[in-house]
Amino acid sequence: MRPGTASAPERAPAAPPAPAPGGRWHRLRRDRSLLLMALPAVGLLVLFVYVPLIWITVAFKDYDPYVSGLWSSPWTGLENITLLLEDSRFWDAGANTLAITFLQLVLFFPVPIALALLLNSLLSERLRGVVQSVLYLPHFFSWVLVITVFQQMLGGAGLLSQLLRARGYEGFDLMTDPGAFKFLVTAQMVWKDAGWGVIVFLAALSSVNQDLYEAAAADGAGRWRRMWHITLPALRPVIALLLVLRVGDSLTVGFEQILLQRDAVGPGASEVFDTYVWWVGLASGDYGVAAAGGLVKGLFSLVLVLLANKVAHLLGEQGVYRK
Amino acid sequence: MPNSQAPDSVSAQSRPHHPHSRRTFLASTAVAAAAVAGGGPLLTGCGAAESTGRGGTTSGKDLKKLLPTYVASKASEPDIPGRNGSSPGFTRVPEELTASVSGKPGKGGTYTAYTPLWGTPPPKDSAYYRAVDEALGARIQWRTQDGNTYGEKLGAVLASDDVADIVCVPQWEMAGRIHGAISAKFADLGPYLSGDKVKKYPNLAAIPTEAWQMSVFGGRLRGLPMPARPLGGVVPFYRQDVFEKEGYEVPKSPDAFLALAKEITRPKSRVWACEDMWWSAQIIFGCPPEKPYYWLERDGKLVNKFETDAYLEALEWTRKLFAAKVVHPDAVAGKANDAAVRFTSGQSLMMNDGDAKWYGLTAEQKDVNPEFVIQAMDFFGPDGGDPVIYQGAPASIWSFLNKKLSKAQIEECLAIADFIAAPYGTREQRLVDYGVEGEHHTIRDGAPVKTELGVKEVVDTYRFIVSAEATVSYPDHPQVVKDYCGWMQRMGAHMRKPLFFGMQIQEPNRYASLATPFEDLAKDVVRGRKSLRDVQNAVSDWRKGGGDKLRDWYAELLEKNGSGV
Repeated sequence: MRPGTASAPERAPAAPPAPAPGGRWHRLRRDRSLLLMALPAVGLLVLFVYVPLIWITVAFKDYDPYVSGLWSSPWTGLENITLLLEDSRFWDAGANTLAITFLQLVLFFPVPIALALLLNSLLSERLRGVVQSVLYLPHFFSWVLVITVFQQMLGGAGLLSQLLRARGYEGFDLMTDPGAFKFLVTAQMVWKDAGWGVIVFLAALSSVNQDLYEAAAADGAGRWRRMWHITLPALRPVIALLLVLRVGDSLTVGFEQILLQRDAVGPGASEVFDTYVWWVGLASGDYGVAAAGGLVKGLFSLVLVLLANKVAHLLGEQGVYRK
Repeated sequence: MPNSQAPDSVSAQSRPHHPHSRRTFLASTAVAAAAVAGGGPLLTGCGAAESTGRGGTTSGKDLKKLLPTYVASKASEPDIPGRNGSSPGFTRVPEELTASVSGKPGKGGTYTAYTPLWGTPPPKDSAYYRAVDEALGARIQWRTQDGNTYGEKLGAVLASDDVADIVCVPQWEMAGRIHGAISAKFADLGPYLSGDKVKKYPNLAAIPTEAWQMSVFGGRLRGLPMPARPLGGVVPFYRQDVFEKEGYEVPKSPDAFLALAKEITRPKSRVWACEDMWWSAQIIFGCPPEKPYYWLERDGKLVNKFETDAYLEALEWTRKLFAAKVVHPDAVAGKANDAAVRFTSGQSLMMNDGDAKWYGLTAEQKDVNPEFVIQAMDFFGPDGGDPVIYQGAPASIWSFLNKKLSKAQIEECLAIADFIAAPYGTREQRLVDYGVEGEHHTIRDGAPVKTELGVKEVVDTYRFIVSAEATVSYPDHPQVVKDYCGWMQRMGAHMRKPLFFGMQIQEPNRYASLATPFEDLAKDVVRGRKSLRDVQNAVSDWRKGGGDKLRDWYAELLEKNGSGV
């Protein structure tokens, strides 16, 4: 029941255009086929995004899904929000979320770009295909599998530890170290999804006019100068767009991945907004507080996405939308 | 697996993960009515006293009126009778199986059943289902769900309009407002079963009274129970074969345990002494059991488990095990679900788990590793003396019948339940637990042994509708029966009932999530991420946050209903 506020603004233009003075009827007639075509999408949007928003009211109610339901559960005003803000676990979750977001932005986001550049520089089509497939593959593994692989490799009884012990060194256990946890989840993310993220950038790269490279090379530009003046500027709009989208989504740092490793490092290091909401709502039945948590997260995400969009505009990029 | 064992194994396995019974709802209309008289604030919503969220229990005369009359079954005599409260053991199959039900109980109805399932799901359409349904004279449409994540789906399913006709709810999944859902969505079985009415269903009448007592929800008899063995929840297992081979001595005190654990642990050879022993530690140091049985009476005052020294000592001892690095690293990483795999493969030599593993692992390893022997060590006290062991709840899994069913349909369901509740040594029990002879099992040395098809198709499903009295009956592994019954009798000598034993208690909503932080805290403390000081702080937060009021609430409950001891 996470409110879809963050994604709402960008889809808003799908609604029928605002009436212009004088010619509303005329415009309706002129655009009727377009409007008709938009109708199914608008219908789905209303049904699956706007109608469920009614359940935001759970955040202001003593909600009981079994006995009284949404409509007759009593209103409790801001009690759930107060409880939420008084809960130190919520603030810990917030701090962890922000830390992981930041790490992901710094350590994860550039990886697909770098990989795309590398892949793009491979001349052999075949080699490129093989490398790409190897990179994509982990994306299709479930988190359970990814974490098991990491546990088997880096855990206290894992392959690396056992290798070290066999050679007379001390073993180590990376999986239960709360201090390393945030780097660990970022590393897992890179391993699983960086290859997948390459696709968009490769597509953008394929649209670069090859003549530009030839011309630049003829003018004596080296490899680095060509990358700096041709390749990267070509990628810039895509990078900006993905960055804004990523920032809007940034408070969603992974749910299953983190929940699966919660006991290993404890909630102090691993609780994030999404696991907190799950824990309080679904596992404990405090639906009101959980909904309030989701709402706060949604509002926060909205602010972030607006800010990031603004920054993109200032940098002269299109961003996700423009007024 | 015969005889309802899976659920026990699960209760111990899942308890560490899902003991979040928090915002529980209402209970006895009697307590609610008393609250009205006392001028307590009531949230009047849909008008029923049941939606007050004040919680409570049902006891005394009100309870007696609801309970079915007990009529013992004459199906077969156990060869190891119960002693010190232990469950009866059967090492053999009676010469002649008896019939406990005449004719087909069903009238051709079709019912949906929403139940947990542990293990590999059997095919939806199987010869086993067809055979049992045929004998039932009714059709059960199974909607089984993975038992380990059952609770995550249960809440949403109960909130929908499409609730199955028969729904199983284990105690440890009664988080949040599930208690309220049970009263709101499921039928009152009192008019069909209370008092002598149950005699119409002789196998249901043979279910022990204390299991029925736990089946009273919201002041009404609503649940069909799965009776539980008294000490099945946490059993400290060890690898007897490896112990004998290596000359390890079974420890008789916490210190000896730690010393032995250090001796056993050899990371280089991929051997660690034990899994997470937190559940055993609580028994060794004499902690009261889980909510709502977590109170002690001391000098006329109620003391919560979290406030006891025993709790701190248990934490400290477990912390020592973790600090000494004798706990398998995967267990440290919280991978509790694979503990049995590490145990059978010899990576860890001691673990605590539900009693079902005793037979389950023996049967599983019989062909793979014939030398494998699993044994339980006797619990010891903090100083190596006698332990104090609190008896487990007499039932912790129930199924409920949908309120929307008609009277005739409920009667048909109860007749079906009567068939499924057939005790050990009956033809009905054989069919439900082993399928059809020649197809799903063959008789070897007088004991039924599942065929390949049997292993695939005969998985505990009907057992989650209802079960007979809890027994230990594994005719194919009589040694397990002897060992387990012996252990239960020895441990039974130190068994005590917790203060609110046998009561189905619902705490008021506002206190329901009070105990939640302790679960994470315990995990943090034993792994050295938090200290005992943090626990003491959490206890004082707990007291201020409502723990003291909850104590008063329980004190009142105790005064009104008496103790369960």
